Amino acid sequence: MNARAVAAWSACCLFVVLSTTNPVYKLMVLAAALSALAAGAGLRRIRGLLVAVLLISAFAIVLNFVSAHLGTTVLFELPAQIPALGGPYTLEALVFGATGGITISAAILAAAPFSLLLASHEVMDAVPAPLSRTGVAIAASLNLVPGVATSFVQVTEAQRLRGWRPRGPRSWMEVVVPVVLTSVEGSIQLAESMEARGFGSGARTTMTSHALQRSDWMLVAASGLALASFAVSHAAGWSTDWFPYPTLTFPTVDPRPIAACLLLFTPVLVWRSRR
Amino acid sequence: MAIATLTDLTYSYPGRAQAALKDVGLTIEGGLTVIAGPSGGGKSTLLRTFNGLVPHFHGGRISGSAEVMGLDVIATPTRKMARNVGFVFQDPELQTVYNVVDREVAFGLENTAVPRREIAGRVEEALHAAGVADLAGRAVRTLSGGERQRVALASALAMRPNLVVLDEPTSQLDPDGAQLVLAAATSLVDEGKSVVISEHRLDHLLRQANGLVLVDRGTVTTADPARWRPPAPPVRPVRSTALGGEAWSLQRVSAGFDGQLVLDGVDLSGRSGEIVALSGPNGGGKTSLLRLIAGSLAPLSGNVSRRPGRVAYLPQNPTVLLHLPTVRAEVRFTLERSGELDQPETILNELELLPMADRYPRDLSCGERQRTALAAVLPGSPALVLLDEPTRGIDSSARGALVALVAHLRDHGASVVLATHDDELRDALADRVIHVADGRVAEMAFAVTT
Repeated sequence: MNARAVAAWSACCLFVVLSTTNPVYKLMVLAAALSALAAGAGLRRIRGLLVAVLLISAFAIVLNFVSAHLGTTVLFELPAQIPALGGPYTLEALVFGATGGITISAAILAAAPFSLLLASHEVMDAVPAPLSRTGVAIAASLNLVPGVATSFVQVTEAQRLRGWRPRGPRSWMEVVVPVVLTSVEGSIQLAESMEARGFGSGARTTMTSHALQRSDWMLVAASGLALASFAVSHAAGWSTDWFPYPTLTFPTVDPRPIAACLLLFTPVLVWRSRR
Repeated sequence: MAIATLTDLTYSYPGRAQAALKDVGLTIEGGLTVIAGPSGGGKSTLLRTFNGLVPHFHGGRISGSAEVMGLDVIATPTRKMARNVGFVFQDPELQTVYNVVDREVAFGLENTAVPRREIAGRVEEALHAAGVADLAGRAVRTLSGGERQRVALASALAMRPNLVVLDEPTSQLDPDGAQLVLAAATSLVDEGKSVVISEHRLDHLLRQANGLVLVDRGTVTTADPARWRPPAPPVRPVRSTALGGEAWSLQRVSAGFDGQLVLDGVDLSGRSGEIVALSGPNGGGKTSLLRLIAGSLAPLSGNVSRRPGRVAYLPQNPTVLLHLPTVRAEVRFTLERSGELDQPETILNELELLPMADRYPRDLSCGERQRTALAAVLPGSPALVLLDEPTRGIDSSARGALVALVAHLRDHGASVVLATHDDELRDALADRVIHVADGRVAEMAFAVTT
């Protein structure tokens, strides 16, 4: 699995899901991203991510439902005197909120292979040479993240046993300050270690080759074709946009953008599981 | 042949009036050189002059001259020195850039633009030289502390340096891990490399060393490693009170995280006025056991009980709890929160910290910080004292002070549990030794010598 091929596929998914308002095409991208992750990581490993995505989507739906009092199909109504919440609650607002939820979910799942399927060095190797030092610095700092979580637990426990109790936001300074100081010191020590190993000497080489394998080329080609097809469909008016207001209608569907979206399922064929 | 020559070298860290190194005149010959001395004396600063981290990374004021492997350290940036001087730091977790062993070892080679076709061979050679060829391809997070430190050594060796510098590389390792790291480091001398190592575990090293440098309060002297003797281990304090009643107990306790069992069916108890030492490999469950007794970790099953009273707990990385502007303020914080009437100066004096009572704790050396953390958790009269690796990075003098302090708390009825790899500390204090490994505990035969 090559990070550049993954980037091409992710970019294409994001292009489709963000360039159309049609929920059918958005749903297809969501399904493609979900299938790709299931093929690459297995459903068990992505369970936590799915829960997070569902919660975010639910929030988007609820937010639009309670705030957009537009549309003709009124489900129920709250008295207008209730600030912010008063007014009609419509099916159109509910469906539009759901479309927003699908967009966010598809975007998150399309970007998820970078953290779920690729190691940080694989992502870094894909960064263009002029940015490689920045990439190394980012990868190194990511290694410190688990340490911050561990520090937080350690500090909270130790301070509790020294008589600290959480009493309002100011009391948390006695935990947050040592955690931040420890993280900063950790970063400085890591920087010192990197310097001692020649970081910043000039042009870098990398241990592994970035050559794309046949399966990577397939994914790049399929993604490129999907992107071009969808862009042409959009320009030609085949992938009709959709808007639920004022009255909810079914979105129009055309086989050409559908075919473009189907190409996004290519990872199911080429990604071997990295469980 | 001299590999390093320091002449009239004086160095001060930024914002510090006092010099960390004073008029150092030193010649290091090839082979194995051991750096010894009290914590906070300037060992780490001296080591960092060999690859230019001092002054290039840390800044500050420097005068005199330093030549290492024929290079003028003051004029040569550290990244250029890296080709000639390999450096291994104290903390294995804070020197890892990549998350796969091979890539981690290759990091320096990538930085110095070694052609890709050469990198794999050099990585393999370095892993072999560090004795960790079998770790190739492993995820770094799955390695033990000892394995990680040997990977760090391999990372330094991959650059094919003529000089390898190690700054207390075993301070955070269990005895097995430490022995493997030291064996790997000393074997480099047989391969023709020069090694400079700062360590507190000196016995094994001094037998093989051909140079010994003593650093104390910024002043550097040399000694004959064959004749010099490290300070004697602390004497076991005489007990002045009898053991009291049960202070804490664990009954059929199991504990773990993320579905993995760390302790399984543990039955254990301790009495007032008793010191129990926990030994065993890194990752064996010692810290979890301490957290269970402290009440910080909830058991998955079984019962934990402890008598009422204050719990003093020193965590494994104690410096994480330091957040106040002075050493004295850290001690006062605990005393005030726990309603104890002692003065901070009492424990600061006991732990030889009075001279630095008004300094910022995070500006101190590793060993001094450790003592500060001990002072921050141990003042007053705690009923239960739980110490996780309390002698990490501290010198023999501070160890003696710690022994006296813990014995004093014990004689005042505190129940003490120490998780430690330090045999001298265990021999000086423990009434019982419990071996903790693979989630199980077992009482070890332990002869108390007075």
